[in-house]
Amino acid sequence: MQMKKMLHFLCMLLLLSQAIAAQDNAITGQVRSATDAAPLPGVTITVKGSTTGAITDNQGAFRLSLPQGTHVLTFNFIGFLPQDVKVTDNRKLLVQLTENVKSLDAVVVSGLASATKRANLANAVTSISAKELTGTATPQTLDNALYGKLPGADIKSNSGAPGGGLSVQLRGISSLQGASQPLYIIDGVYLNNSVIRTGRSTITGAGGKDEDDAANRLADINPDDIATVEVLKGASASAIYGARANAGVIIITTKKGKAGRTRVSLGQEIGFARIQHYIGSAPWDENKIRQFFPTSRQEQEIQRYHNALANGGPFNYEKMLYGETPLLTNTHLNISGGTEKTKFYVSGNLSKENGIIKHTGFARRSIRLNLDHQLSTHISFSINSNYINSNTDRGFTGNENNAGASLGYIIGYTPNYFNPFPDAAGNYPDNPYPESENPLALRDKAINNANVNRFIQSGKLNIQLLSNARSSLSVAVQGGVDYLSSRTKVYFPDDLQAQRSEAYPGDIVLGQENAINTNLQAFLLYQQTVGKINFSTQAGTVFLETKSNSTLNRGQGLVAKQQNISQAAVQSLLQQYDQQVRDAGIVAQEEVNFDDKLITTLGVRFDKSTLNGDANKYYAFPKASVALNVNKFSFWKSHTISQLKLRAAYGQTGGLASFGDTYSSLLPAINGGLIGSKVSGVAGNPDLKPERAGELELGIDAGFFNNRLNVEGTYYSKRVTDLIQNLTLASSTGITTKKINAAELVNKGVEIAVSGVPVSTRNLTWTSRLLFWKNTSKLTRLDVPSYTMGSYGPTFGTYLIRKGYSPTTIVGVPQTKPGEYTLYGNSQPDFQSSLYNDIQFLHNFNFSFLLHWKKGGDLLNITLYNTDNGGTTKDWNDDYNHNGVPNGKDRQGAGAGVYVQDAGYLRLREVSLSYTLPKSLISGAFRNVVEQVKIGVSATNLFTITSYPGYDPEASNFGTQAINAGTDLFQYPSSKRILFNVKVDF
Amino acid sequence: MKNKITTLFILAAMTLGSCKLDPVADPNNPSVTSVTTNASRNQLQSLVTGLEARSREYLFTASIAFGTFGREVWYFNSADSRNVQFWLGQGGRKPDANFYGVFTAYAAPYQTIKQANVLISAVNNTHTIGDAEKPAYIGFALTIQGYQYLIPANSQYKSGIRIQVNDELNPGAFVTYEEALKAIRNVLDSGYKALTQAGNTLPFRLTAGYSNYSTPAGLAKINRALAARTAIYQQDWQGALDALSGSFFDLNGNLQAGPAHIYGAPPDGFNPLYYLPDGSFSGIPVVHPSLVADALPGDKRVTEKFFVRKQPLINTVGAVPLSSQYQDKRWIQNTSPIPYIRNEELVLIYAEAKAQLHQPQDAVAAINRIRAAAGLPAYTGAQDTPALITEILFQRRYSLWFEPAGHRWIDLRRYNRLNEIPVALDQGSVFTQLERPADEVNWDIYKGGR
Repeated sequence: MQMKKMLHFLCMLLLLSQAIAAQDNAITGQVRSATDAAPLPGVTITVKGSTTGAITDNQGAFRLSLPQGTHVLTFNFIGFLPQDVKVTDNRKLLVQLTENVKSLDAVVVSGLASATKRANLANAVTSISAKELTGTATPQTLDNALYGKLPGADIKSNSGAPGGGLSVQLRGISSLQGASQPLYIIDGVYLNNSVIRTGRSTITGAGGKDEDDAANRLADINPDDIATVEVLKGASASAIYGARANAGVIIITTKKGKAGRTRVSLGQEIGFARIQHYIGSAPWDENKIRQFFPTSRQEQEIQRYHNALANGGPFNYEKMLYGETPLLTNTHLNISGGTEKTKFYVSGNLSKENGIIKHTGFARRSIRLNLDHQLSTHISFSINSNYINSNTDRGFTGNENNAGASLGYIIGYTPNYFNPFPDAAGNYPDNPYPESENPLALRDKAINNANVNRFIQSGKLNIQLLSNARSSLSVAVQGGVDYLSSRTKVYFPDDLQAQRSEAYPGDIVLGQENAINTNLQAFLLYQQTVGKINFSTQAGTVFLETKSNSTLNRGQGLVAKQQNISQAAVQSLLQQYDQQVRDAGIVAQEEVNFDDKLITTLGVRFDKSTLNGDANKYYAFPKASVALNVNKFSFWKSHTISQLKLRAAYGQTGGLASFGDTYSSLLPAINGGLIGSKVSGVAGNPDLKPERAGELELGIDAGFFNNRLNVEGTYYSKRVTDLIQNLTLASSTGITTKKINAAELVNKGVEIAVSGVPVSTRNLTWTSRLLFWKNTSKLTRLDVPSYTMGSYGPTFGTYLIRKGYSPTTIVGVPQTKPGEYTLYGNSQPDFQSSLYNDIQFLHNFNFSFLLHWKKGGDLLNITLYNTDNGGTTKDWNDDYNHNGVPNGKDRQGAGAGVYVQDAGYLRLREVSLSYTLPKSLISGAFRNVVEQVKIGVSATNLFTITSYPGYDPEASNFGTQAINAGTDLFQYPSSKRILFNVKVDF
Repeated sequence: MKNKITTLFILAAMTLGSCKLDPVADPNNPSVTSVTTNASRNQLQSLVTGLEARSREYLFTASIAFGTFGREVWYFNSADSRNVQFWLGQGGRKPDANFYGVFTAYAAPYQTIKQANVLISAVNNTHTIGDAEKPAYIGFALTIQGYQYLIPANSQYKSGIRIQVNDELNPGAFVTYEEALKAIRNVLDSGYKALTQAGNTLPFRLTAGYSNYSTPAGLAKINRALAARTAIYQQDWQGALDALSGSFFDLNGNLQAGPAHIYGAPPDGFNPLYYLPDGSFSGIPVVHPSLVADALPGDKRVTEKFFVRKQPLINTVGAVPLSSQYQDKRWIQNTSPIPYIRNEELVLIYAEAKAQLHQPQDAVAAINRIRAAAGLPAYTGAQDTPALITEILFQRRYSLWFEPAGHRWIDLRRYNRLNEIPVALDQGSVFTQLERPADEVNWDIYKGGR
């Protein structure tokens, strides 16, 4: 009541201030958002030690009359951090408020068609704002920007190649099969985050599709379009997403226009990248040559060695191949505005980042229109349209089994006295070493390209059927389409050395894939208030269809320089794969809110899917949660503890089988001109049901000192049952595996977030956030024989799947008894922690950085195994154990332990400094056309402290596979990026 | 009002509930169940071709692995040095339950056996063909089964193999090597019997690999050749001779005669053992230098089978650097067929059986047939059985060099002469057998623990 009175008083003051001329000292000014410089109407301004105050108008302007002297003004606005500003004179103030994404009043998604205040949430939902996502340093791809900002997440990159390729794991492993990636939903559209097959691994002999080294298609989304990312990490929060939500749900909302003046914002970034660090290679001399090569080659090698020394050698292949300083450019333009009825946001983005290997790079062109329209008081709709073209040249790195198809392999197996530079006529010398390819020729002549055209379209319609003081009923219909068409090309021209050893030199694989996701949901929402209790009911239905078809065509024996398969001697279809999945679900949820004190939610989702053995059987995924805002009760008197919430949530989600798991197939087999059918070694299971995760989350959230310090602590226990397993049959039965629901896994963990504003004055606002998270996994049931899986088998370390162990347990040779291996480590980190600091100082400067610490978590360094073989590991020549045998030879017999290495690190993920030009300066220079000019510099991955000797402790050769991450095998080296940026708002 | 809302919700729920999903049929492949009852003639043909295609899948792995164990070849692979370090047993390495790179040589024959079982069951459960036609299918299926069982039996040796494998969830127990060979003879005998009851023409087509044997009688000859091969592993010398008499054995005939696996350009598969002469490769089998060093002067098999490279192939991974000047010369092109049992082997089986049965004249006649073909003078050594066996093993080393059955390794094992395998150059060791695969061990633990 007291508060309300004061507000009235303030409003009156504000009105009066327009009429009455200043008698004392008139202070005027404007309040804007620090994020986008938009004026903020409705900001409350109070004067310390006085009852005077003001509220900003539509243009964010305010006016205050104060007695002469020094005063401290406090600016308060919902969703923003409060700010104290000291004033002594009557000059015009420009106050910039920083958005507080952790604000308790910010609205967070809580159902498929509803949202709730953060203060009333029963789950630890992580929200990442545009500022956190792209404000410090513009990321190449969205998932890149999540590193270190998401408690509970373990993120790994498959490759340092530009254009993404990341694996995100929330709250531990939730499936033992294939990829276990979160579900991405952008403006209500189920995003296709698949990895498109290029066939690279087939023709380089690397193995399966997971070693194609292709990017996941989240890379297509322009990070600059994103307003917020909300992460439902576990089943208790994501239950309402049902059978596809076991690995968590990441909800992306793009920016919208605001009513008012049309705002134009133009940003330009220009920068460069450098390799993070070189790993080095061992020197050669005559003695080593004699030790290394067979007698038949020694003299020739010594000759070559001396020739090289006389002609500019030895050569540093790493610098030669990975030493580029590529140009990075990123241009974004967005225009937004509108009226109260119609709002729009239009954006265009041109992003081009080349890689540290010549001829590699990633380019993305994206345009977007987001339109919101209020048709009548009862009906509103919105349309979001996005077209993207992205083009990726990833080059050739990573695994291979055919000669000379990976730069890392080639230089790992080539002594440093081979001169790869082309002669004056442009002929690349042949590489006489086992990889049989000139690395510069491979880099300059071969192509590994993917070009994606994509439309993402969503629409939403809201109809208010009924609305009165006590209740309202509305219908919300939402749907969307994600259409993706890709063309991939992997090309080795006929004149490459390795091709010349083929019966048909010149090899090309052209891939074509079309994929379309369509989803539609319709909900009824009913709100009713009875006394102090608010009931919010929703029920609806959801439907999703995903369809894709892909072909990979191959030509071998190409006419010189030709890239059309019709120019090939042998033309073949490498693969054709069609896929179709339909899901349908019914959802109902009831939220009961007692005066914001006690909030309970009950909900259930019934899902069916054609991926299940029985396509028409509904599986139920219930949820229940309760949040208790202790501080809202009248007995709560503490001023120090301004918020105290206890929360508990339980929910279940599902994980669907992969397409094809229910089929027992006869595979095609063509032999001698006849077409045959052969029984697949993988048997389908028509009784498969979804995997099911049940998660209990308990938490306590506390705010201190008027919520300037917030602590959020969460404990969860996620039990995944009915895990789909490859029942590894006795291979003598001719069937190697059959999928069955046969295991149970428990992930337990804690997530702690401490955030606060240690200093908030006009000259200095310091926001700080410390995150800590830890997860442990354990297989609690396994109804199939224990087995090892992943990476390249027990020789170099592989994963043990056994009851009582975490599926991230690493074992390897030597064998301790038949089928049992030595225990070496665990790929799961002990814990992770990150520290984010954002400091605004001297009005116009902003400095921020993000440190990320990962403790423990082992990596399988198979690059080491290979460079030991090739005689090129940096410490190959040394002899640590003084047994007279060089390390490089010694390690080869030492068991898998030498390849299992600690991959903990401390990394400066992001750091940036920006400066907003003073208004006085701009208005003079640009005659008030320009609203704001901001310049800055930012860097990603500037330094890493780690004991891991490879290029990157985050390497992961196997793409998005759930268990099989964490293998280092000649990946594209990671780079650090430095970007200079200018942003002009009109 | 409240009622209206309730009605609305109920209506909504009903609309949703009635939404029925049509199951998605596999858009990419036919299902196994499509052939289990009343398979059409075309479907049976597809299963026959599938069986033929499956039956060659073991070939590459078995050739390079068994060939390496017997030091017929080394497999130089710069991208994965386990082919050297592990397969040569360097540093005392021994096969373990997940031994590197050999699984296909175990699993592929069993997948072929499965395919044959599915074919037999499809044939027995269809009315689209007459009963008179069925024995041809069954005889062919059993013949291929016998051929394939022998591959794991020989590589696993004392580790034993399973014979009863039709029910994938209840496979039979492991049997000893001797029992396995006996069972294989039975499978082949049943196949032979079926083929003799199969009339004069085959109701299905085989590839050109069987062009000289594409009648029930022709397949029966292959069946007997495989039975003869099995018999010598059993030391059933008379049985070997009996089998040979029904086979395509011809002492004076073409030594190259025999069925083959067919290869071709995609969508078929290329001959996996073909390598461009003098090409540079990161993975290639090379001729073990001892074959050239130990050869008798003028042996035509050396010049016919070993290509002399301009530059030696070298291997620098593993315990010691290795080098060989020779690569495989047997294949004219990458679509050349690969025979899996030839008259040359049958002649040598004949010689061995005769020597063991103390009929040295017949043995020497067969030996001389081989020597003459290789451009060597007639045999002049002792005529006692041990001497003849030594000579036969020597001739088998060159005549059957690097053939997919892995003869050298198995021959020396049968005569307890594994210590004759030359390991000095590579500082490795010789394996007697492979260990039982982990999935087999785990399955038995799993079934036992239930």
